[in-house]
Amino acid sequence: MTHLAVVREISPSAQVAPDAEIGPFCCIGPKVTIGPGTVLRRRVCVEGHAIIGSLNVIEEGCVLGAAPQDLKYGGRPTLLIIGHRNYLGPRVTAHIGTENGGYLTRIGDDNALLDGCHIAHDCYIDNHARLGRQVLLAGHVLVQTGAVMEDQSAAHHFTTIGRHARVLARTPVRRDVPPYTVFGSEDYENQPPAVQGAHEEGIRAAALSAAEEKELRQALRELFDDEEALQTKIEQLVNLGVEGQALELCQFCQRSLQGVYGRYHELFRGKMPPQAEKYLPAEILAAIRRQPA
Amino acid sequence: MPQISQRAVVEPGARLADDAQVGPFAYVGPEAVLGPGCIIDAGASVMGRTTLGAKCRVFPLAAVGAAPPGADRPGQCILGQANTVREHATVYAGADPPTRIGNDNLIMIGCLIGPGATVGDHGIFTNYTQINGPSVIEDYVRTSAFATVAAGSRVGAYSFLAGYTSINGAVPPFAMVQGCPSRVRGVNTENLRRCGFGDDDIRALRDAFRQLFNGSTGQPDDRLVRKLLAQKELNHHVRRMLESTYAPPGPGVSP
Repeated sequence: MTHLAVVREISPSAQVAPDAEIGPFCCIGPKVTIGPGTVLRRRVCVEGHAIIGSLNVIEEGCVLGAAPQDLKYGGRPTLLIIGHRNYLGPRVTAHIGTENGGYLTRIGDDNALLDGCHIAHDCYIDNHARLGRQVLLAGHVLVQTGAVMEDQSAAHHFTTIGRHARVLARTPVRRDVPPYTVFGSEDYENQPPAVQGAHEEGIRAAALSAAEEKELRQALRELFDDEEALQTKIEQLVNLGVEGQALELCQFCQRSLQGVYGRYHELFRGKMPPQAEKYLPAEILAAIRRQPA
Repeated sequence: MPQISQRAVVEPGARLADDAQVGPFAYVGPEAVLGPGCIIDAGASVMGRTTLGAKCRVFPLAAVGAAPPGADRPGQCILGQANTVREHATVYAGADPPTRIGNDNLIMIGCLIGPGATVGDHGIFTNYTQINGPSVIEDYVRTSAFATVAAGSRVGAYSFLAGYTSINGAVPPFAMVQGCPSRVRGVNTENLRRCGFGDDDIRALRDAFRQLFNGSTGQPDDRLVRKLLAQKELNHHVRRMLESTYAPPGPGVSP
């Protein structure tokens, strides 16, 4: 297919792979990198310091790499990194990081983000996550591998959505969501959202061994039947010597309890979070370390 | 000379300040006025009889001055200074009354400001907040994601609308409001502290709110309102809250 009269604006200094497909009315800023095989449909704006990998599909009207909505953002050139094979539905927005939050917003590989999702500054989405329509991630949110957030759910600053967890539609997530659980409420007016049970599809998707799955299911049953006693339950399970995903679940819950209002990553407020150190390109990390705070 | 991208459309008749910027694929209509330092980003539209004050920024694919549904002529939309309209947000123009937005508001992604809405100063409207017009939003209001304000509502100054809240009626100033139907859940202390309110004022407001709302129903008891207003030493913020929201203007109530 040839576009004879495609009108678009690509900065001469942008690095766009020759076989990336850039649709009409797209705008690509000067510090943008777009990898091979990535498709940008119509009216996609990519600005800021955005690095987009290969084979992504970015639908109409997405705006990537714009300045954060955080009022504390100081205007330094922070990063947005998007991995490979992601699907970004129409009108998805993802912002670059802030200086206070670790300079980086990252979307990993093989994620699906449907219409109107918003990935705010300093968020990290791992791999294989699915975000429904108009899912909002406030700043500094972590979405771990395989997590599912249904339509119009929204995550508060510094929350973590655990591995293969499922957040029900229109749920306000104000604290960490433990891995492999279903999180929501039966009556949003009167009951704050909480763990509703095990996320069967997530447990299947994780493809655990029979023994590990059994242990995980037992831990899920014991931990959440009375959340008041969570601390005691964690200690009991760890003392029993649980391993694998069951142990990781216990450690996740322990970290959330240590955090502020059940949000572990609140402890990194204003600091360089470990995931930024892990994912920032080495030369940029070194440059940040050199500059005065 | 304004910086206008060669790929933007600026209609003849549009008035742009000398340092205004218009990005590629943006549209500025024939009756638009852009103040000094305004930036219209890629693909954004400024339509109708719209005036943007100094240093307003309209982000990519946002629309300001959109014609209300069914309107036969362009409406009017007046924005003050230093307002930010983020990606995909829509500010409708109003025919009668016009849409008015004060200064220093942050209208985040996907928000909607309806035709004829009046918004004060220093507001922050988080993603997908919908303010239907005509309604009044006073100064320093904060909303959380997916908050909805029905037409004809009035949201008092310094109040906070929690996520997914649906407002149909009046929100008292200084309140934290949540739910559908909405309920007053307390005083928006964090915002008040940030805005420089003293501990005494905050305590007085807290006491009054505890008596008036108690987290249960939306409307406080009439007799209690009158009893509080009769107190000579009533904190002036409490008085303002009661008079603006619950006391109909009439004899015995100062304007």
